Amino acid sequence: MSPDSISALRLSLQVAVTATAINALIGIPIAYALARRRFWGRSLVDLLVTLPLILPPTVVGYYLIVLLGRRGVLGRPLYELTGWTVAFTWYAAVIAATVMALPLLVRTVRAAIESVDRDLERAAYTLGRSEWRTALEVTLPLARNGILAGMVLAFARALGEFGATLMLAGNIPGKTTTVPLSIYTAVQTGERGEAVALVAALTALSCVVLIAANRLGARAS
Amino acid sequence: MTSRLEVSLRKSLPGFTLDVEWSAGDGVAALFGPSGAGKTLTLQCLAGLVRPDAGRIVVGAQVLFDAAAGIDVPPQQRRVGYVFQGYALFPHLTVRDNVGFGLRGRRRADRTRRVEEVLGRLGLEALAERHPRELSGGQRQRVALGRALATDPALLLLDEPLSALDLPLRQALRDELRAVLTDWGIAAVLVTHDLGEAYRLGDRIVVYEEGRVIQAAPRAELLWQPSSRSVARIMGIRNLLQGVTLKATADRIQLRWRGQVLEAVNSPTRSYLPTPDSPIAFYIRPEYVRLIRKDRGAVDFAHHMNLMSGTVVREVDQGTSWTLCLRLDEPGEPAQGDYDLELEVPRLVYEILEIERDRHWQFSLHRGAMHVLPSA
Repeated sequence: MSPDSISALRLSLQVAVTATAINALIGIPIAYALARRRFWGRSLVDLLVTLPLILPPTVVGYYLIVLLGRRGVLGRPLYELTGWTVAFTWYAAVIAATVMALPLLVRTVRAAIESVDRDLERAAYTLGRSEWRTALEVTLPLARNGILAGMVLAFARALGEFGATLMLAGNIPGKTTTVPLSIYTAVQTGERGEAVALVAALTALSCVVLIAANRLGARAS
Repeated sequence: MTSRLEVSLRKSLPGFTLDVEWSAGDGVAALFGPSGAGKTLTLQCLAGLVRPDAGRIVVGAQVLFDAAAGIDVPPQQRRVGYVFQGYALFPHLTVRDNVGFGLRGRRRADRTRRVEEVLGRLGLEALAERHPRELSGGQRQRVALGRALATDPALLLLDEPLSALDLPLRQALRDELRAVLTDWGIAAVLVTHDLGEAYRLGDRIVVYEEGRVIQAAPRAELLWQPSSRSVARIMGIRNLLQGVTLKATADRIQLRWRGQVLEAVNSPTRSYLPTPDSPIAFYIRPEYVRLIRKDRGAVDFAHHMNLMSGTVVREVDQGTSWTLCLRLDEPGEPAQGDYDLELEVPRLVYEILEIERDRHWQFSLHRGAMHVLPSA
């Protein structure tokens, strides 16, 4: 395997792990709010979080450029202020992967939270727990399997993310070229050996993650 | 009676309005009525899980809710224990942790002592390390009670506590529940759609129908003097009939029904004086209809009042007794479909009188077995 492929593998893992962590951090609260609370703009949040699942990744990538590119809605003030732009950095790959993976995590976790018997939460309230403590001590522990499943799906989605990443982060070897981009490049330039090695590596990695997730799920139930 | 609990609630939901007012003393108040009558919603309002649109809730000296005064104590601070339908035990915690769940914030030693005390009192010590899924229905009930009682609530709410159980177990646990409630001497509100349960567990029974309270009374009074036809119907009272008033005095009512002149005792607590010729609702307890034996010679008319005769058109074997459906020897439409009266005879009587073979009978009703119902 060439040094470029190895760096692509390392980058992909780094991006997928970071994107999954961010997903858990923002996705679980969003899923909880959608499952348990009625608030203004709830349908809008639901729509926005789900859209990346429906839209072609390149379209999502385009929106991200509009938002975060050097001349973007948020990107321009940031560039003028600091002279730095997120586009074409590995952070851009993380953002693209996070956005693309978010619907899978939110939907899975939301379904898991909705399946928790509300009487358990009510019981906790009458026993003195605030909503926040109840979520931490009752709801989320009982939704644990769904949360794990959501994180596995998010990780897999982030690992395989291609279109949106290409749009926002580009394909800069050693910097933003993740494994899927690297495979694409290898096939385009006729380096079949490299392509096969990376395909095998990604397949193996996905299998390991799935088996680990199944083991965790089996232990939890 | 000093009221331990005063409840007045109004809550509108799409397609349903709860509008109730009742009070109860120490002991157990049973909210009884069909599903969807608003009983559980009432409990949720009492616990602070649902906010009523209007009304007032007072437990002892503490006002938990008063819409007019803007008081709404959150569920966390109401000191109300709740035993949920299906128990809602935390499946990821052991029995010990379930029971101790409400004791967070107390000193560790305090908490341990209290949990041990509750486990001991409910006979759960041996199960302390188990999870809810490893318990039987009866054990779950005790854990749910223990969890709610551990915090020393001012009021205990129980939502259909026995409905998750099989019938034989249900009866045993009903008595066990009664024993626990008596033993802890706690004021409780219990929801049930089973009259037997309401009667055995409740000191006072509050009858719900479609979001309203149609009667609230001590249990004995309710069973013997339902205040209206709808209460009688909800209580599943059989032989609920309609006649025409002939004469009403403070202690007797004479009425005409299916060509018979019948005499009933007037309601002893609420004398009811309908005008002659007005319709009157009454019921006859099936177990109080007396069949007249044919082997005892002539009928003594002074002894057998409200004498009638009819034919058994249908019968149901109830195990220890038989239910007979009788049609009177009168022309015209029978009062209840194809029969006029339902009566209940013990199995032994059924066999001795050979009712299986002999279908035509004379029978009488003591006037005390006939109950008139004020306001149809």
